[in-house]
Amino acid sequence: MTVLDVKNLKKSFGTIHAVQDISFSVKAGEVFTIIGPNGAGKTTTLEMIEGLVPPDVGEIRFGEFNWDKHAKTIKQKIGVQPQSSAMFDLLTPEENLNLFATFYDKARPTEEILKLINLTDHRNNHVKKLSGGQRQRLAIGLAMISDPEIIFLDEPTTGLDPQARRNIWDIILQLKKLGKTTILTTHYMEEAEKLSDRVCIVDQGRIVTLDTPSALIEKLTEEREVRLSFINGAEAAEEANLYSNNLSSVTRTEREEASLILWSTDPENTLYNLFGYTKEKNYQVEQVSIREMSLEDVFIAFTGKEWRD
Amino acid sequence: MKHFKQFKQMFAAQLKLTFREKQAWFWGIFFPVILMSIFMVIFSGSSDNEFSAKVAIVNENPNPTSEMLLQQLTSIPVLEIESGDTVSREKADELVKDQEVHAAIVLPESADDTSIFFIVNKENEQGVTTQALSGMLNNFVQQANLYAVGAVPTYELHFESITSSSNQLSYTDFLLTGMIALAIAQGGMFGMVDLVEMRRKGLIKRLRMTPANMNIFGLSDMIMRLLFSVIQIILLTIIGVFLFGANVYINFPSLLVVFLLGALSFNALGYFFSSFSKTSEAYMGVANIASFLMMFLSGIFFPIETMPEWIQPLSNILPLTYFVEGLRESMVYSTSIFSTGIWIAIGIMLLWGAVAFIIGSWLYKRKSIVATR
Repeated sequence: MTVLDVKNLKKSFGTIHAVQDISFSVKAGEVFTIIGPNGAGKTTTLEMIEGLVPPDVGEIRFGEFNWDKHAKTIKQKIGVQPQSSAMFDLLTPEENLNLFATFYDKARPTEEILKLINLTDHRNNHVKKLSGGQRQRLAIGLAMISDPEIIFLDEPTTGLDPQARRNIWDIILQLKKLGKTTILTTHYMEEAEKLSDRVCIVDQGRIVTLDTPSALIEKLTEEREVRLSFINGAEAAEEANLYSNNLSSVTRTEREEASLILWSTDPENTLYNLFGYTKEKNYQVEQVSIREMSLEDVFIAFTGKEWRD
Repeated sequence: MKHFKQFKQMFAAQLKLTFREKQAWFWGIFFPVILMSIFMVIFSGSSDNEFSAKVAIVNENPNPTSEMLLQQLTSIPVLEIESGDTVSREKADELVKDQEVHAAIVLPESADDTSIFFIVNKENEQGVTTQALSGMLNNFVQQANLYAVGAVPTYELHFESITSSSNQLSYTDFLLTGMIALAIAQGGMFGMVDLVEMRRKGLIKRLRMTPANMNIFGLSDMIMRLLFSVIQIILLTIIGVFLFGANVYINFPSLLVVFLLGALSFNALGYFFSSFSKTSEAYMGVANIASFLMMFLSGIFFPIETMPEWIQPLSNILPLTYFVEGLRESMVYSTSIFSTGIWIAIGIMLLWGAVAFIIGSWLYKRKSIVATR
C-alpha cells in the first residue's frame, strides 16, 4: 500500500533551483532513504513533503490527503525530526515529550517513548545538559510521541560518534519492527545500506537512481573483482592466470607476484573452475576474496563525485 | 476542552521556562530592585529634612538693642546656635575659619549702633546656606527697622504649595512609580528576545510541524509575561513602601487598565524589534537603545520639566512617558478610570503598541518560512 506519493516536485529560491524534478512513492512499513551530497536538495524535498515549504510545482499526497485541504489531518499522521533538532532546552526530556503529546489527538505514553529512545535515566535532566546523541534520540522521540504512521528523520546521525550512531540505528530498526514507515535522509552510505529497504540517490535536485540497496549495487556493474593468492608463489599464480584467461566469464586478469586478480561476470562459476584446476595441479590457495561493492561505489558511479562523509 | 488542556500544558511549560531562566530573574526582578534602592538611598536620604544652619553669635557689649535681637534670633528654629550662648569676636572668627559654624553674627555694640555684621568663610560665600542665611537676616533686619520706626507692614508674603491632587508626590513615590513603569517596559522590550532565539534555533518551525495551536502558544506566553510583571509591581511596591516610606493611593481599576495596556504595548514593541532582528545580539542592541532613550527622557528618575526645553518635545512622544504618567495617576493620585487625562495617556501608549504590532506582524509574514529557519 502506498502511503506517500510525490510527483514532479520543483522548488527554486531565487536563481537557485534546489529541487528540479523529484517523484517517488513510499510503501507502508518501509524505510525509504534519500542520500545525496550537500546541497543536493534533500532537506528542501523533505520540507516540502512535511508541509513547511510549498512546492513551486508538483503534487504531494498522503494516501487521500494533501496539504492544501487536509493540513491538520496530515500533521496528526506524521512525525518529524528536523535537522536542527530544536526543542525546549530548559525543559527535561520528559517535560518536552509531555508537552508535545498535548499537541496531538492521540499520543503514546511518555514512559514508553523514553524507554524506546533509552533516555529513562536522563528524564529529569534539562535538555541543554544532554549529549549530542541523547539530544538526537530525544528529537526522534518527539517525532514518535503521536504514534505517527510516517516518520521523517532528517540526518539523524550527522555529527554523532559511532556508538551514538548505532544507538539511533537500533531505534530506526525498532520503528520498522513496529510497522512504521520511515523516510530518512543521511550522509552515511553504511547507514543507508544497513537500514533502508529502498534508496533514492539525489544530486543537483534530481533523482539519479532509486532501488533497493542490493539492486543498486547489482545494477552498478556486471563484473566482480576476485582476488586469489597462492602459497606456491608467482609461478603458480601465473599458470592460474593463463588458465583463467581461457574461461569465458572472465573479462580481464592481472598478476601481482603470487596474487591473481580477475574480473568475472560469473564469479561463482569462475571460482569453481579455477579451484578444479588448482586441485589438479596441487596448488594451494591461501586467500580468496570477492570485493564487495558498496553504495559508495554506486554513488560514485552515478554522480561522478567522490563521496565524503 | 482540548484547547484548554493544551493551554494548561503550554502555560506550565512557559512557567518552568521562565523560572529556570536565570537571566529573566536578574533583569526582571533583581536589577530593578537594586536600581530603585540605589536611587532612593541617594536622592531621598537626608535631603528631606528641613534646612538648618549653625551660627555663632557675638554679643561683646550687651545692650538693650543687642539683647532684643539676640532673643529674637534664638527663637528662629532653623538656626542652631554654637555652644548655646554668645561667644567672643576672636572665637567667632576662629569658628568661621575652621568651618565649625556656617556663619557668625555680630550684634550691635551699643544701643545706638545700627550695624549687624554677618561673617562667613570665603569658601562658602556663594553657598546656598549663605544665601539663605543672609536672606533671613535681611528680612529680620527689615522687620526690626520697621519696628524701630513704628510702621506696620502693608504687604505680607504668604507661602503655600499645591499639587494637582490632595496627595503630595514625594520623590520616593515619584521614583517608585517610575521604576515600576521602567521594569515593565523593559520586560516587554527585552523579553521578546526569546522569540528571536526560538526562531534561530528552529523551534518555531518545529512547533509548526505539529498540529499545536500557535495562538494558544502565544496566549500562554503572554499570560506568563503579564504574571511576571505583576510580581515586579508587587515586589517593587512592597520595597518602596516598607523600606523607603513611599505613599501609594491606588485606584485599582485604573491601575489594572494602565498596567494591562502598558504591558501589552511594550511587549508589542519587543515583538516589533524581534521581527527584524536575525540574532539575539542584534535584538538586544535595538532594545538597549530604545530602553536607554526612554529611561532618561520619559521622566523615570526626574521630572520631564527639569530637562532642557528643546528635548521635551521628544519626551512627549515616547510611550514610556505616558505609561509612567498613567501609573502615577493610578497609583499615587488615585485617579479614577473615568478621567479623561488617564485615557489620553493610555491612548498615545496604545497607539505605539498597535503600530508596532501591525508592522511587526507584517514583517513576520513577509519573510518566507525558509528564512526563519
